[in-house]
Amino acid sequence: MKNDGLHRKDRRAFLVGMGATGVSAAFAGPVLAASGNEPAIKWDREHEIVIIGSGFAGLAAAIQAKKLGANDVVIYEKMPVLGGNSAINGGLFAAPGTPLQKKEGVTDSADIMAADQMKAGRGVADGPLLKHIASRANEALQLTIDAGAEYFPYLQQLGGHSVPRTYQTTVTSGGGITQPLIKECRRLGVKIVNRAKFERFIVDEKGAVVGAVINEGFYFGRGRKGKPVNVRSQRGVLIAAGGFASNVGLRSAQDPTLTAEVPSTNMPGATGEALLEMFKVGAVPVHMAFIQTGPWASPDEGGFGYVSNYSIFNFPHSISVDVQTGRRFMDEIADRKTRADAQLARRDDEGNPLPPVTITSYEHAKAHPSVKKVLEYGVGWKFDTLEALAEYHGIPFEELKKQVDEYNRYVEKGVDEQFGKPMEKAKGKYIEAPFVTVRNWPKVHYCHGGAQIDVQARVLDSYNWKPIPGLFAAGEVSGGTHGQSRLGSCSIPDCMVMGMTAAETMMSA
Amino acid sequence: MMMKTLGKLAFLSVTVAFVAGAGLADSTLEQFDKIKGRSYHASFYDGESCDVCHETNRATSLPADDACQSCHDLDDLVEATARPAGEEGQNPHDNLHYGRDVPCMECHGEHQTRQHMCADCHSFEYPNFKP
Repeated sequence: MKNDGLHRKDRRAFLVGMGATGVSAAFAGPVLAASGNEPAIKWDREHEIVIIGSGFAGLAAAIQAKKLGANDVVIYEKMPVLGGNSAINGGLFAAPGTPLQKKEGVTDSADIMAADQMKAGRGVADGPLLKHIASRANEALQLTIDAGAEYFPYLQQLGGHSVPRTYQTTVTSGGGITQPLIKECRRLGVKIVNRAKFERFIVDEKGAVVGAVINEGFYFGRGRKGKPVNVRSQRGVLIAAGGFASNVGLRSAQDPTLTAEVPSTNMPGATGEALLEMFKVGAVPVHMAFIQTGPWASPDEGGFGYVSNYSIFNFPHSISVDVQTGRRFMDEIADRKTRADAQLARRDDEGNPLPPVTITSYEHAKAHPSVKKVLEYGVGWKFDTLEALAEYHGIPFEELKKQVDEYNRYVEKGVDEQFGKPMEKAKGKYIEAPFVTVRNWPKVHYCHGGAQIDVQARVLDSYNWKPIPGLFAAGEVSGGTHGQSRLGSCSIPDCMVMGMTAAETMMSA
Repeated sequence: MMMKTLGKLAFLSVTVAFVAGAGLADSTLEQFDKIKGRSYHASFYDGESCDVCHETNRATSLPADDACQSCHDLDDLVEATARPAGEEGQNPHDNLHYGRDVPCMECHGEHQTRQHMCADCHSFEYPNFKP
């Protein structure tokens, strides 16, 4: 990876008073004599648009800004690798009115998608933002395809969605989107700097964000803080720094059940400092305690692993059973919160977790490449008979057999009388040998909370409810969009659309 | 209580992966005069050659992300670590999450053992990896 100026021996001194050295050669614009939180600033760098974070939102913003004529866009990424959490997510992208929906004859609209999301969000999601995102999701999807992202030629119906509307990258990861977007950014001349940590905002006397202090040469987890440089932004600073699922202190302060002992799907850098800095300059905190755990995760592997995508694909035509009773305990494609809450209730008499077992016919599981991975890497198991399955997992066989027969009758009828699961995607898909199983247990996955933004991606000020000049946010770091439970595959469209929107707002000012 | 058990589960799997890796480890890490280093880099440890990787011989800063590539050709590495059909994305030098952009020192340690990044979430093995 190119360092774009890191490790330079001739790095200039910083924070030198204006009177001492005057204006640096790289500095093109007028000088601020003083600013709100600085006595005097010597700018080390200056860029038209400054983006913090290199995930979906930051990359989409950079590309859109370039398309709208920006000359000088920089992305600062604190981690050694690019893409943030987006690079390791499931690569699932929900959008209404797409070519695949036309091909599969699915009736859908931005209103229907936003209504599904509002329902899962328990009514406290942000209607205008959801509508805005859904109405431009297909455009954002096409942007990724134009950049080279490749998707499976079929749709999936994820939990809580009333219709199939979810694309998935052929590599079953967000890396299948971030990699092409990074390439596109480089082609367009976007500067991308890794190991560069956003430290704080530089604010002028009127309260406008005019720049940021960036620690260049920051080595995550190695005790090297790097050297601070003052970066001036001409059009604004976009915070696209993701959530805080990996910050145990912050997340457990919001939700005391999410202690260090609860694993997370997130990369270790998802710690939320940029969000806290937004609060310092007045941003409105929204829904900080609504932290989502993923019901498709596995206790048998780290992070998102392989089982997550396997379960997401297979839940519609699978049953999850309690190992003690052999009975189902949830609608396998309910929204994430409903399912995670149901899973967390599976315990022995002493309260120890008993991860439920998800059972799928191999015949149906093999339609997705993930089954090969879960079997190969020992996080899923294949059985020729139900007896063998029951014995391996310690499930009472008679009860399990009864449950399977019962569920298969629901498949035949097209109606799930047990939990009201939508059975469209289970049509003709009986639970039959040979079987594949995985174990599921929730992991901390997504922070619904963050800084409040409007539909132009402007960060609002809690003191006057107006946008904070020069400050924009997009993606998981923004708060309130999804209410209490974000539907799966709705983060990528959120990040992409709000990143694009932020660029448009900055470029139109 | 449930958190504890779950934590143990996660911890156990990480430990197993680490121990499995450690079995292959020690062969190339040896003690030179003042510091441990890799046996195949023995010629760097004459006390004056820290700047092969570090900016200066005082070695106060970490090497640049592309320092190893002054000797090691990335194309060759990508080819050497190619994975079988269907698992192309697991090539550590050209993988589906980060492409060819992972700084070497995120997986490789010159002076100490290191666990490769993939092990954060995955259990696949790289038999020739030198931890």
